[in-house]
Amino acid sequence: MKIGFFVGCNTAFNRPDLEQAVRYALPALGVELDNLDGQSCCPSWGTLPSVDVAGWCAVGARNLALAEEKGLDIVTVCGSCYGSLAEAKYKLDHDPELKTRVNELLRNIGREYKGTSQVRLAHYYLDHELGPDRIREALKYKLDGFTIALQPGCHSLWPSKVYFDKEEDTFHPRVLKEMCEALGATVGYYTRLLDCCGMGAMRSADMEKSFHLVEKKLVSMKEEVNPDLLVTGCSSCLLQFDTAQKFLQKDKKIKFEIPVLHYMQLLALCLGADPEQVAGLAETNVRSFIDRVRKE
Amino acid sequence: MPRIGVYICHCGENIAGAVNVEEVRKYAEQLPEVAIARDYLFMCSDPGQELIKQDIRAGLVDRVVVAACTPRTHEPIFREAVAEAGLNKYLFEMANIRDQDSWAHWHDKEGATAKAKKLVASAVAKAAFLEPLEDRFVEVTPAALVVGGGVAGMFAALDLAGMGYQVYLVEKNPSIGGNMAKLDKTFPTNDCSACILTPVMVRVGTHPKIKLLTYSEVESVEGSFGNFKVKVRRKQTYIDWDKCTGCGDCVNACPARIPNEFNEGMDNRRAVYIEFPQAVPKKAVVDLEHCLNCGKRTIGTAPRIHSKTGKPILAPCERACKTGACDRSKAYDPEGEIIELAVGTIIVTTGYRVMDKAPFKEYSPQSPNVVTAMQLERILSATGPTAGHFERPSDKEKPKTIAFVSCVGSRDKRHHTYCSKVCCMYMLKEARLIKEKYPETDIYIFFIDVRTAGKDFEEYYNYCRNLGIKMLRGRVGGVDELPGDRLRVRAYDVDLGAPVELEADLVVLATAIEPAPGLAELGRKLGITCGSEGFLKEMHTKLYPVETPVRGVYIAGCAQGPKDIPEAVSQARAASSAAAVPLTFGKIVVEPLISEVNQRKCSGCGTCEKLCPYSAIKLVEDKGRLRSHIDEALCAGCGVCAAACPSGAITLHGFTNAQISAQIKALAS
Amino acid sequence: MSEMQAVTGVVNLSAGDPALAGEIRELGGAELLECIQCAKCAAACPMVLAGFSFFNKKVIHAILLGLREELLDDSSIWACQSCNRCTEVCPREVNPFEVVQAMRRVAIREFALPTLSVEGLKSLYDTGHAVYLAGAGNTRAKVGLPEKPPSTVASKKALQELQTIIRNSALADLGIIPMGETGVSETCEV
Ligand SMILES: Cc1cc2nc3c(=O)[nH]c(=O)nc-3n(C[C@H](O)[C@H](O)[C@H](O)COP(=O)(O)OP(=O)(O)OC[C@H]3O[C@@H](n4cnc5c(N)ncnc54)[C@H](O)[C@@H]3O)c2cc1C
Ligand code: SF4
Ligand code: SF4
Ligand code: SF4
Ligand code: SF4
Repeated sequence: MKIGFFVGCNTAFNRPDLEQAVRYALPALGVELDNLDGQSCCPSWGTLPSVDVAGWCAVGARNLALAEEKGLDIVTVCGSCYGSLAEAKYKLDHDPELKTRVNELLRNIGREYKGTSQVRLAHYYLDHELGPDRIREALKYKLDGFTIALQPGCHSLWPSKVYFDKEEDTFHPRVLKEMCEALGATVGYYTRLLDCCGMGAMRSADMEKSFHLVEKKLVSMKEEVNPDLLVTGCSSCLLQFDTAQKFLQKDKKIKFEIPVLHYMQLLALCLGADPEQVAGLAETNVRSFIDRVRKE
Repeated sequence: MPRIGVYICHCGENIAGAVNVEEVRKYAEQLPEVAIARDYLFMCSDPGQELIKQDIRAGLVDRVVVAACTPRTHEPIFREAVAEAGLNKYLFEMANIRDQDSWAHWHDKEGATAKAKKLVASAVAKAAFLEPLEDRFVEVTPAALVVGGGVAGMFAALDLAGMGYQVYLVEKNPSIGGNMAKLDKTFPTNDCSACILTPVMVRVGTHPKIKLLTYSEVESVEGSFGNFKVKVRRKQTYIDWDKCTGCGDCVNACPARIPNEFNEGMDNRRAVYIEFPQAVPKKAVVDLEHCLNCGKRTIGTAPRIHSKTGKPILAPCERACKTGACDRSKAYDPEGEIIELAVGTIIVTTGYRVMDKAPFKEYSPQSPNVVTAMQLERILSATGPTAGHFERPSDKEKPKTIAFVSCVGSRDKRHHTYCSKVCCMYMLKEARLIKEKYPETDIYIFFIDVRTAGKDFEEYYNYCRNLGIKMLRGRVGGVDELPGDRLRVRAYDVDLGAPVELEADLVVLATAIEPAPGLAELGRKLGITCGSEGFLKEMHTKLYPVETPVRGVYIAGCAQGPKDIPEAVSQARAASSAAAVPLTFGKIVVEPLISEVNQRKCSGCGTCEKLCPYSAIKLVEDKGRLRSHIDEALCAGCGVCAAACPSGAITLHGFTNAQISAQIKALAS
Repeated sequence: MSEMQAVTGVVNLSAGDPALAGEIRELGGAELLECIQCAKCAAACPMVLAGFSFFNKKVIHAILLGLREELLDDSSIWACQSCNRCTEVCPREVNPFEVVQAMRRVAIREFALPTLSVEGLKSLYDTGHAVYLAGAGNTRAKVGLPEKPPSTVASKKALQELQTIIRNSALADLGIIPMGETGVSETCEV
């Protein structure tokens, strides 16, 4: 099994420990990674997608073409990259006129978008290709007795029509939950599970308003689940939850801290990775969580 | 030489707004064989018709061409005028320069005028070849069929039976009553649905002129207006209805449990069941698909004999039945029975079904406390799953806070784009019934637009608001499940300009009304069609609202589109009166625009016989040779045979080769 | 609630721009006219929960009224999360997110965009990444990764490819960012 790893900006520059987690976990489960050399930004929503459709899709199509040329699908751990690439692909595959225009842009650089590669989000890919049982078998550490709260992330769900891997019911998603349960953890439901974390454009536009959303989510999960760990399916959500808590504490909005990891980090840890390499850049106290897991 | 009169209509501005009428008139005047060309503001008005009549009476014209609107509505009017003036009414031709010209090319006046000239020239060319034809008459079978025994079907049947005609009422369920039988109370007067409906059901059941065929469906329809031959399949009930008294003893004995359709799946019925307490006819049926075949004995086999007592070991249902109606050793035909009916007219009143909640995942349909409005009707009803106790499904607690969600599956491109029309009112009604009985209940109705147009409806709405029912503008975006079986409703309140959340014990979805399953299929059997939204299409929305393009077939009630009871009943009674007209007249006019075989030219090849979609053609032996023969009563004048006949032996009157060639030539020149 | 008040004073409908809706449809908001203003998208929108003054439903309404100035004076559209909840729930297949996005495209053509977006575009052109931290090499090394990810920052040819695409896209005509043939240098954090 082989797949092209699309790193994206935030993972590469802000949380390379997450990149390292992917580079550890997937091969450990028998998935070979291709670097998709020369990949660029997806492009992110506030850039070319806000300028025009063709420019957006052309940059997306170039990234997709890198994978197509190698006959591979693309996997990412970032919801934004997932959304931007998958939407661009959906548009290209449904609008022949757009596809022609984009391919004219790509011809200048000697590439072509065909539509043969799929865009996958890491935990969906694992669920679909390996399934929870294969993961369970490969674990070095299990999370029995630990309670987890989830943050699936908007882009992992909507708009469902553009995605290759689908939830049966996007308003009651199951995949991330089952993937965490495969690690032995108990997953608690809280009623603001699907709310937006506020990361992304909103945080750039107005930090205070953005933190308002993350606070509401944190309080809901604290009160309703009181988890040992928060697990996200998206690198942007990871950044938001990992960095916002200290601000909220300072402003006396919350009096607690919930350690946060991306699912791929947690998976890598359970497969035996070095915590410093795959989770070393967390601002929340994931260390004590990891120690507890490794002690059990 | 024919003397053709051409009459061009302005249709107010409808035609004159795009077509230069005077120019067309001048053009028509110089066409060959045209004696006179006139124009008028409204040709169909009395003075307009008088223009034509005068010219005929004065001997100026002996063929008439009217260039105006659509022949669909206006051809009969002008034909009548021509006949009144003493001319054969088939010496008339119409050019549609409105629907096919001025309306279509409104912004191209020159083009529209040029096209009008062509259309007029073509009609004139045909008119030169018109020949006088005589109407034919067919006797009418003085009986009617009504399909669907809801409130609409029952009133249609009662009206026709009251006029003395034999009526067959076909209903697919075991009992008549339809959806209204499930309702608790009904707006706008809030009378109890069962109280007003049951007497009607009983009257239908006992009327000497109504033959009830319940648990039955239309299998096939043949023949045509005035003389339909209908095959109806009576599904197998596995109970001898002549003996069944409706006591329900078998029902009580049956151990099987199946979700009860009548209570919208909120409780169970048995495998042998009586549809609901007031059912008419009150008879049991066995749902064989869910029957447990007690004692491992399939239906139609003899019971085992008890080794000790020597008595047969009967199934619980059989054992309970005191009349012998339930006898599982009888060899019933699983296909049921085919009944053949002969009727003159048919009314379709197959009503609607409500959408299920399952597709609306954002509203957490997996929660038992998210219900459809129809489920709430059953919860409120004394004969419902809670015996009239107001309880929410999860824990039988009385809900303190209720949220109604409007337009669920209506006004929605993913489901139904139309407005279901009755939900605004029934939400208000259900809210009001609850509020009047339990004033402490907090009720919120989330709507997009409140649509309460109808007599006394706005007053009803205001009354509800005065009761303290809270109205919020904004389609609900999501419903989250909360601990304790509660629900969080999320919306954007347009008037507050703010997002709102409400914790509720019960969420009621006003799910859309959709056509009864199998409606399109039934329509195909009858030759009538459904609109893109799936309901049966009437002939003309305003003028022929209960007629269909197939003469003798009428529609009423929710089969035609969502509507409330007052409207469904009015429409049903309109349909019954329309359907009674031909029955009363006793015979019907058949236009002579049908095909005829020239026996001398026919080679007997049989091409036409195979092609005729109405099975009107048979090859008949005549002096040792096969010759095609067309049944006048069956021919619909489609012309397929005339076009296909390799010997040119078939003429379609009103559309002869000469007429059509002349038309085409005029159009092409 | 006062912060919800996006439009203050009287809105002069007569000054509405009838061309705006057409522009939006051209720029990706093709299904704009299908909207019946039911507010389901607003019920789902994080911008509404966070208290921004313009969001999907309201943007659409304002576009239909041609309120170009009011829309351009407000920066809310730049807070849209692209979360597509609205697309998922809209019963009229309007794709409200696409309309918000199209409004951004209109705004950009009038140079009404936030500085951060300009920087993001610039960084994308210069490095191939909208978010780029020049100092990230150290952190990457710390977790055992090469200093540069295998992207445009590690390949001049790849970056040139990307720049060629961008130079031939609509962005080039707008003159919002300089488009030289620079290498990877600056830091840009969004
Ligand atoms: C929740 C709810 C509450 C309502 N409350 C009110 C109210 O308070 N007041 C009011 O005025 N209106 C109300 N209505 C509307 C009302 O139910 C309808 O106007 C009325 O029932 C329509 O009657 P109908 O005869 O046209 O159709 P139906 O009642 O649907 O009857 C159609 C019948 O045809 C049968 N049928 C279907 N297909 C076939 C077939 N192929 N062959 C044979 N038989 C067939 C069906 O089994 C059924 O018996 C409400 C509707 C809903 C959904
Ligand atoms: S055999 Fe009779 S009692 Fe037994 S399940 Fe069937 S219907 Fe019910
Ligand atoms: S009647 Fe009211 S609730 Fe029903 S679809 Fe129409 S507007 Fe919506
Ligand atoms: S965009 Fe869709 S969901 Fe939003 S108001 Fe319009 S129709 Fe409703
Ligand atoms: S995509 Fe934008 S407009 Fe739509 S719901 Fe998300 S934040 Fe709101």
